[in-house]
Order: sequence, then C-alpha cells, then structure tokens
Amino acid sequence: MQYKSQMVAKPYFIGALVLFVAQILFGLIMGLQYVVGDFLFPHIPFNVARMVHTNALIVWLLMGFMGAAYYMVPEESECELYSPKLALIMFWIFLAAAGLTVVGYLAVPYATLAKITGNDLLPTMGREFLEQPTITKIGIVVVALAFLFNLSMTFLKGRKTSITTVMLLGLWGLAIMFLFSFVNPDNLVRDKFYWWWVVHLWVEGVWELILGAILAFVLIKITGVDREVIEKWLYVIITLSLITGLIGTGHHYFWIGTPEYWQWLGSVFSALEPVPFFAMTLFAFNMVNRRRREHPNRAATLWALGTGVMSFLGAGVWGFLHTLSPVNYYTHGTQITAAHGHMAFYGAYVMVVLTIISYAMPLMRGRAANSNASQVLEMWGFWLMTISMVFITLFLTGAGILQVWLQRVSTTPMGFMATQDQVALFYWLREGTGLVFMIGLAVYLFSFFKDGKSAA
Amino acid sequence: MSSDAIDMTEPDGRRHPPGDLAIWVFILAELAAFALLFILYGVVRAKHVELFNEMQLTLDRNAGALNTVLLITASWCVARAVAAIRKGADGASARWMACGILAGVGFLVVKGFEYSDKFDAGIGLDTNLFYMFYIALTFFHFMHVVLGLLILGFLLLKTLRGGYSADDHLGMETGASYWHMVDLVWIVLFPLVYVMR
Amino acid sequence: MSASFSTSAARNIFFGGTVFFVLMFLALTYDTEQKLPQRDQRAQLANPAVAAGKRVWENNNCIGCHTLLGEGAYFAPELGNVYKRRGPDFIKAWIKSQPTGVPGRRQMPNFHLTDKELDDLVAFLKYASEINTANWPPNVEG
Repeated sequence: MQYKSQMVAKPYFIGALVLFVAQILFGLIMGLQYVVGDFLFPHIPFNVARMVHTNALIVWLLMGFMGAAYYMVPEESECELYSPKLALIMFWIFLAAAGLTVVGYLAVPYATLAKITGNDLLPTMGREFLEQPTITKIGIVVVALAFLFNLSMTFLKGRKTSITTVMLLGLWGLAIMFLFSFVNPDNLVRDKFYWWWVVHLWVEGVWELILGAILAFVLIKITGVDREVIEKWLYVIITLSLITGLIGTGHHYFWIGTPEYWQWLGSVFSALEPVPFFAMTLFAFNMVNRRRREHPNRAATLWALGTGVMSFLGAGVWGFLHTLSPVNYYTHGTQITAAHGHMAFYGAYVMVVLTIISYAMPLMRGRAANSNASQVLEMWGFWLMTISMVFITLFLTGAGILQVWLQRVSTTPMGFMATQDQVALFYWLREGTGLVFMIGLAVYLFSFFKDGKSAA
Repeated sequence: MSSDAIDMTEPDGRRHPPGDLAIWVFILAELAAFALLFILYGVVRAKHVELFNEMQLTLDRNAGALNTVLLITASWCVARAVAAIRKGADGASARWMACGILAGVGFLVVKGFEYSDKFDAGIGLDTNLFYMFYIALTFFHFMHVVLGLLILGFLLLKTLRGGYSADDHLGMETGASYWHMVDLVWIVLFPLVYVMR
Repeated sequence: MSASFSTSAARNIFFGGTVFFVLMFLALTYDTEQKLPQRDQRAQLANPAVAAGKRVWENNNCIGCHTLLGEGAYFAPELGNVYKRRGPDFIKAWIKSQPTGVPGRRQMPNFHLTDKELDDLVAFLKYASEINTANWPPNVEG
C-alpha cells in the first residue's frame, strides 16, 4: 500500500463482509421456507426475508465497489485521496442507512414502513430490488454523490490511467442509472420498462465496467504484466460488454407488454452477451500465464481466475440458456431465472469483490500476503463456496426444468403450488448445499483471524 | 475482406490485418450481430416464404441497387485513399477520401427517400415480420453508415492537417477497415432482403 | 501477426461504440414509447382505482413472493393473469382469509386491507391481465 488514505477502504470491506453474512443467513431462512412453508411465520414472512437477502447483497456489493475504488484510485492516481474524512463519514452514513432500513423491514409490516416514510409523496417502494423506502433511496444518492465527488477530485488531480477512467465511468453510470429508481409510472408496462434501466443496465452494463476495472487492477498487481497490455484488453472487453448488453436489455422486454420486435433484437444481442465474459476468462488466464513474478498472494490469484470462470458460467452460459425468446417463453419467471441469478451474481460480482478484498486486505494490514496457513484456509473457503454455488445452481436448474415441464409445457398443466410440491426434493438439496456455502463463508472469514503475519 | 485488395497493390510494409487490432475485435463483434440477424431472417423467411416474397416486391430494388453501387464506390475511393497515403501523397489521399464520403452521403440520401416512402405509408417495425426485419436490419446498417461517415470525416480532416504520412497512417487503416465492414454488410444485406426469392 | 494494437485505439473504439449503441437503444426506446399505447391498456388508467390498486400492490410488497408478468419472487403464483384464472370475488375472499395456518405450508400474511383497497387491487390486477404480453404465460396456470 503506497498511500495512507487507501486505508479508508478497510471499513468498507469489513462492512461488506458483515452484510454478506446477513445475506447468506436470510438466504438460508428463505431456502427453508421453500420447503417448510410456515418456518418463522408470521415473524419473518418470506417477502421480508427476501428483501433482506437481495438488498443486503446489493448494498454489500456497492460497499465492496466503493472500498475497491477508495483503494485503487489513490494508487492509480499516485496521490492521496481528496478527502479521507468525507469517505469515512459516508461509510458510517451508508452503514447506518442500510442498518436502519433492515431494521425497518424486520420490525414493522412493509405497509407501515411505507406509511411512516411517506411513500405516498413519491411512491418508489414495492418494486423488486428497489424496496427501500424513498428516503433511503435519497440517502443512497447523497452517499453516492459524495463518494463520486471525492474520487473524481482525486482522479482530476493525479495521474489518469485507463483503469481509473473505466472505474469512474462505471461508478458514475451506476449512480446515474439508479436515478431511474425514482421513475415509477402508474402504467405498469412503462414502470417495468424503466425499472430494467436500473436493474439490467446495472448488472449487464455499468457494473461490468467496474468488474473489468477491478480485475484489471488486481491482474496488473499480481502478474506484473505490462499495464499497456492489460489496459487495452480491458477496453476491448468492456466494449464487447456494452455493445451486446445495451440492446441486450431487450431480453427483458419479451413479455411485459412491449412491442414484439424486442423478441428478435433481445434474443440476438443477448445471445452475444457470453462473448465478453468468455473474453474475460481468456484474459484472466492469459495474463496469469504470462506473469512476470510469483506474487506471494496466491489466494488473490485464485479469486481472480475464479471470477473469470464463474462469471462466464453464471452470466454467460446460464444466461444464454434461457435468453432466446422461444425458450424464455417457457422459462420466464421460474426457478431457471433464480438459478441464473444466483450463479451470475456470485460468479461476477461477489467473486470480484472478494478478489480485491483478498488482494488489498493483507496490504492494509501491513503485509504483502497472508501466511500460508491463512491462505490455505481462504482457499478452502473459495472452493467450498464456489462448489456449493455450482450445486445450488444445478439444483435450482433441475427444479426449474421440472417446474417448466409440469406447469407450462404439459398438456394438462399443473397449478403453481401443486408443482412446487413436486419439486420439493430439489429445494431440500439446495438448502443443504446452502448450508455448505455458509460453512465455506465461515471458513473464509476465519482465515482473516488465522495468524496472518507469520510468513509475510 | 475487401481491404485485402489494398494490400495486393502495396506489397511492402503492409500489415495483417490492416489497422489496429482493436478495431478487428469490434468488427468481428458487429459482424457476429449482423450474422445472427441474417440467419434469423433466413429461418423466419423459410417459415413465411409467401409473405416475404410478397412484401419484397414492395421494396424499391432500383434504389437498393443504386445504393450498392454507391457503397462499393465509396469503399473503392477509401481504398485508393489508403493506397495514396502509403505513397505519401496526402493531397490525393484527401481527394479520394472526400469522394468516398460523397458516395456514402449519397447512400444516406437514397436510403432517406426509401424510408420516407415507407414511413409515409405507415410502415413500422410492427407492420409484419418482413418489415420488422427490413427496418431492423437496414436501420441498424444505416446507423453504421452514419458512424462510418463520421469516422471517414475525421480521417479526412486529419489528412488535410497533414496528420498521416507514408510512415504513419495506422489510424487511417483502422478507420478504413471499419468502413469496409459497413460495405460488406450491405453486400450481404442487399441480395438477402431485396433480391433473393 | 505483425498487427499493432494500441490502448488509444481501443479506448476510442470503446467510447465510439458505446455512444453508438446508446443512441441505438434510445432510438428503440423512442419507437417503443410510440407503440406502447396499442398494447399497454393505458385507457384503463383513467379509472383512479387502477393507480390506487398499484399502490396497494407496492405498499404491501406483493412482488416479494409473487411474480407479476413473470418478474418478482418465485415463491408464490404468478398474478399477472390471476384475474383471468380466479376472478375478482375469489381474489378478494382469498386475501381476506389469509393466513391459512396449515402446518408446514407456505403462508401468506393477512394485510388487513379495507374493502376499497381490495376493490382497487382487483382493478389493478384486471388491468394487468389485459396488457398485451405476446400470449405469455403459456397457459392460465401462469
């Protein structure tokens, strides 16, 4: 670590990991509710558990991105952060807002929360992933603006590299697209149309810029390959992401009342969306193979390679599986979607945040890498979590195929709940694998406390 | 690729592929998108041969043919411009480039008349399957011509300012490669949509 | 291969390509907005009950368990077409009778909706069921 102000990344990373634990705990609750329907009812109904599960994920990934940016931008710009104090204040505000929101979700019925936060003045609540009270959304915008101001000022006064350019573009894009969360027309079709501008243009648009920038940064550091080489491939990959992903938004416009030409355009462009992910996999492996030094942090290398492979599988392959409109006609809104969502989020965004944490945390704790024992534990965490996620995805895919068959394809279609009973076995298997994931997460977290210093 | 012709005339110091490698990744991605659309067009046409044959007759084939000539001319001019700059003749290069741009603008004008005819008749993306493809494909291509012309315009300006020379014209090769891709797509698109029965 | 490959070219292509595809996407968005009135049943929005029903839908986080036109959680049935599957009276009676309390079964909370809220919600679900969704879902079971 070269600049003192990079240390502000540390609380962001710790906060992110704490919320990660919360996310998985609530995921396990939901997973059990799939098979033991009245588990924790009426204290934590499914919809509440799901809000915590998905919102915690989004917030901890955002925290991870912010921490990554605070770590990377000073080092890349070769100057101290514009205001470390502002960064720390914003961390606590963000954490408090996230915490209060979760308490709100758990403590009172959602309708009460909507009422006391004045949702009727500017209704934005009650839409998937955007369940936060309007006031929380405004808070997110304020935190994001302060964050972007801080980083942009740092960027402007220092060296401008391709990595920071792409990172900041991604982060600005993230903030700008979030403004569409305030767009909530009464017209359901238009509501959904612009809702995807937040959701899709985040995860299959600007977040990919952030992902690419973080991965490129870590690869430069751990492989010692020329910056020039890595940066130009970064540009090529994100170009591919955006030219496929922008019109690829069309794969969400098949069945929500939008014109039917989206079925063609959405299918064609999103069929190409695996290409940038494949390019990213090749890129990561190529750079590691051409490495000019043996970085002592092997765990970070493993996470970086894992991101390449798992994002290609989760976002690329599992996305392609149901992105063509004739297939999606049957799979839309089934467990297939859930399968894809789990592996794509884990493979792309969870893993890239864990990559930068794995690389930066030891440095912030005053060593180039953790001790061998600690790294071995971390790698155990990697394999346990990654393999469980593969199986969670496979079981959900199994559940989805059976569901589609019984409920949608069959000449005597079964009702929703009757179908759910038929696929219960898959849900049990998924829940079991989820427990293994939790164990993997515990092992991973334990590696932070394992005598890290001894061998560094 | 049509740009190979340039290399044949200039055996010394040529590059394979011409231009910057990054543009080739972009060109391949774009060609992949067009290729998928063409394949879909073929598959859907096979299912609705009668509709497609009937609707095809409503297209202005002469305008399409004229546009093919214009684009091939433009590509040829651009190729001459690159050949000229390789000999260091930047004056000639600029003149060829200007001719190329003129032919490209001609394409847009002809296509504009075609579109205004169709739009006046109330035809849109959702008129029928044939017109969905016709408009999606040709408009997507039309926008590529616009982008290609912007790039050529930039190349022309830089040439006029003496920005390219016999030793340093990588940028021009890069831009020209993109333009040839735009031309190539039309050479597939025109017979496929306007002519094939 | 003696190709040259520079960061500046890659960067220019990134910016050019991105602007180009953003413009294409905006053009398609414009066209979609022009076509939507034929498909989205916006005339029904003249009835204030529809918008009020959408508020009821949102303020109780229905999307947290159900899907609506296939989007949402996959824990409970699709409701985009529930008006056609069950009809207005069943919907109201069902919501009022929750939770079932059957041991081990998935439970839906009781949201204590007023009669007006129930009517609004049904108006909203009727509106949703009449949107032209290109024949999705494949059958009435959703």
